[in-house]
Amino acid sequence: MFYRRAGIRHTDYRHERQLWPLPFDRYLVAVVAALLLAAPFVIERLYLVAYLLPWLIWSSAALGLNLLMGGAGQIHLGYGAVMAIGAYTSVHLVRIGAPLELAMLAGGLASALIGSIFGVAALRVKSLYLAMATIAMQYIVDFAITHIPGVSGGGQASIEVPPVRFLGLSIEGDLRTYYMALASCAVITLFMLNVGRTAFGRALAAIRERDYAAEIIGIDTFKYKLLAFWTSSFIGGVVGSVLVVCYLRSVSPDQFHLDLSVQILAMVIVGGLGSVLGSFFGAGLVLFAPIVFNNMIGFAADRSGIAISTDLRAHLPLMLYGALIIAFLVVEPLGLAKIYDNVRNYFLVWPFRTARR
Amino acid sequence: MKLTRRSFVASTAATALMGIRSAVAEDERIIRFGMPQDFTKIYTFVTAEYSQGQRDYISLVNGRGGVNGYKIVADVSDHANDLPRAIEAYERLKREGMVLVDPLSTPVARALVSRALDDKINLVTAFSGRSDAADGSVFPYVMPLSPNYWTQAGLIVDFFRQQDKDLKGKKIVLVHIDTPFGKEPIPIFQALGQKLGYEFETFPYTPPGNDQSAIWPQVRRAKPDWVVFWGAGVGQTTALSEAIRNGIPMDRMSSSVWLSESDMDVVGKDAAKGVIKFEPCASGRSPKVIADILKEVGGKGQGAGPEAKIGTAYYNYGAMMGAIMVEGVRVAFNKAPNGPITGPWLNDGLTSITDFTAEGLLPAMTVTKEDHQGGGKGRIARWDGTKFVPQTDWFSANQDVVWAEIRKSAEAFKTNGK
Repeated sequence: MFYRRAGIRHTDYRHERQLWPLPFDRYLVAVVAALLLAAPFVIERLYLVAYLLPWLIWSSAALGLNLLMGGAGQIHLGYGAVMAIGAYTSVHLVRIGAPLELAMLAGGLASALIGSIFGVAALRVKSLYLAMATIAMQYIVDFAITHIPGVSGGGQASIEVPPVRFLGLSIEGDLRTYYMALASCAVITLFMLNVGRTAFGRALAAIRERDYAAEIIGIDTFKYKLLAFWTSSFIGGVVGSVLVVCYLRSVSPDQFHLDLSVQILAMVIVGGLGSVLGSFFGAGLVLFAPIVFNNMIGFAADRSGIAISTDLRAHLPLMLYGALIIAFLVVEPLGLAKIYDNVRNYFLVWPFRTARR
Repeated sequence: MKLTRRSFVASTAATALMGIRSAVAEDERIIRFGMPQDFTKIYTFVTAEYSQGQRDYISLVNGRGGVNGYKIVADVSDHANDLPRAIEAYERLKREGMVLVDPLSTPVARALVSRALDDKINLVTAFSGRSDAADGSVFPYVMPLSPNYWTQAGLIVDFFRQQDKDLKGKKIVLVHIDTPFGKEPIPIFQALGQKLGYEFETFPYTPPGNDQSAIWPQVRRAKPDWVVFWGAGVGQTTALSEAIRNGIPMDRMSSSVWLSESDMDVVGKDAAKGVIKFEPCASGRSPKVIADILKEVGGKGQGAGPEAKIGTAYYNYGAMMGAIMVEGVRVAFNKAPNGPITGPWLNDGLTSITDFTAEGLLPAMTVTKEDHQGGGKGRIARWDGTKFVPQTDWFSANQDVVWAEIRKSAEAFKTNGK
């Protein structure tokens, strides 16, 4: 009924392999894109700067990590450090007068370079051992940043981002930071949507499923594992610089600790490994569930007049948040993207129920 | 399963929509202080007691009719030291008309500095944030309102000098957590070492500092005359336990502000006898303000937390900060009785606080447009096994060295293009 699959006939390969073969999906994407573009003019400022903006940035980061974890099957627990390298490189370059466009690319390249060096470990070790190697990266990068005053910015270890221009526009105020984050997120999303349809994406998928089988069918696993780390780290570096330029406005080492890495890892897993849409859902849940629960409990406590202690009021949202994550993973281990997929599958044939078991 | 799955997803979505809307109190005569603080992650060792003191003081003022007929609303929430959460809280409170925000977290304060400067909202960074924010000419809306870490280091060294008469040829060591916070006082110790002729050595330990067993034997071998241990939370109690194990005399050891009665329970009240710390305000229940809180708020069961905590070190820090903020409101009303109640209005009050002691709770404090630290006075107190006993009167020392560092750092912030 909604999706109207009748009458869609693929007459060539290009047609069959388009991103959204069903008109309904295309309209949905167009509506969401239009809403995101119009958001600054229709929603309140609070929701723009405190919800949409971080959501776009964190989703971009989750997408970058998802390429490595969902795409190539390589675990990475140091993605925060990857972002830190990009953030610091670009901020330092901007401070010495480089244009932001170049500084962002340089940040991405620096992250890609250092990320791939640690990615070399992936050629030797797998799963849990790779997790340890990438945690080591996190700690080494943290240590290097805090112990090199030239990087951290000296005693206060905090560097303000100077006023920057991107493509001739100065990036300041709510509107321009939002659109810059939206643009970078759109580019990364398009890349991620398409990467699965390329030889590169298929090679990564083969490595993810079984790397020695991939080798047997002629995929150079050495090259593609390194490329996966390179690409994913490049995205991480660029997102790191978007994060500090558009959102944090200053850069300091504590913004990129293991907490951030684990947060992004959680987004990828809760959202759904390998799913583009899942990265957005995961970022939304992990970023905002604690905030929403916190506001809800604060609201309920204020309105009902029940005096609950501050400790309980602070910890209750975290308990609910933990329970929610567990519940989602129990209900649907394949992540939030799979829940969306289930709903979509139901409506694909609605009002008939043939798609359901 | 069919029903569970569907209703689960639907109910989650419904609650999410509900939660985004939050309460706005429809009361005209209020002044809103935003207090999103970290109750659940890193600063938990201090936040609960600090916030309790702060809110109890505000309840005391409100119970007596508020300031000029205005009630002070302390809007407390948890930001868990997480920047998206803190920025959300900041923006939400800003929409609700907050004139002051006290995040009590260094990373959050750093991320809020440029926002507060743009929005003209007073960002209180007591015992946290940037030390160079004491320079009000560069940071007009960042208000430390408390002796910063450089001042604390200066005062501690001066106390050592008072004890030993002369520090020439002595050795002072700093055992610190290996983070920017831990390394912060080093330039002051070095500068004063050159001036006073003592030898200075540092011993960093890895964060979070729950294992320092490798460091303290080295400290012992260095044979220091004075040891300063610089950390927070678990690092402090671990440092004390290790120092005791290595036979370092307690009465030659000093901490910054981050040492409390609760830490002494962990270390052992008798074992830690003699250890000294910096005090920004009086501790215990004897100051009149604390006694009043006990009588009018805590005693009536209206306190924000357990009554036993009233009068502990961090509780009093909170009461002190509450008192300074409310004094800022009072002065602001004196200067402009008709408001309007905005960030700049309160800033004018806060930067005109003169010789304020909160009835003996804190040293006479004078904040100006240039000096947001408030004079940098404090005192040294010693643990006697049951409580912290002041060893000196309120004093200030080495402010020339401290201000040289503040100006140098603030200048670097300014040249960053802001």
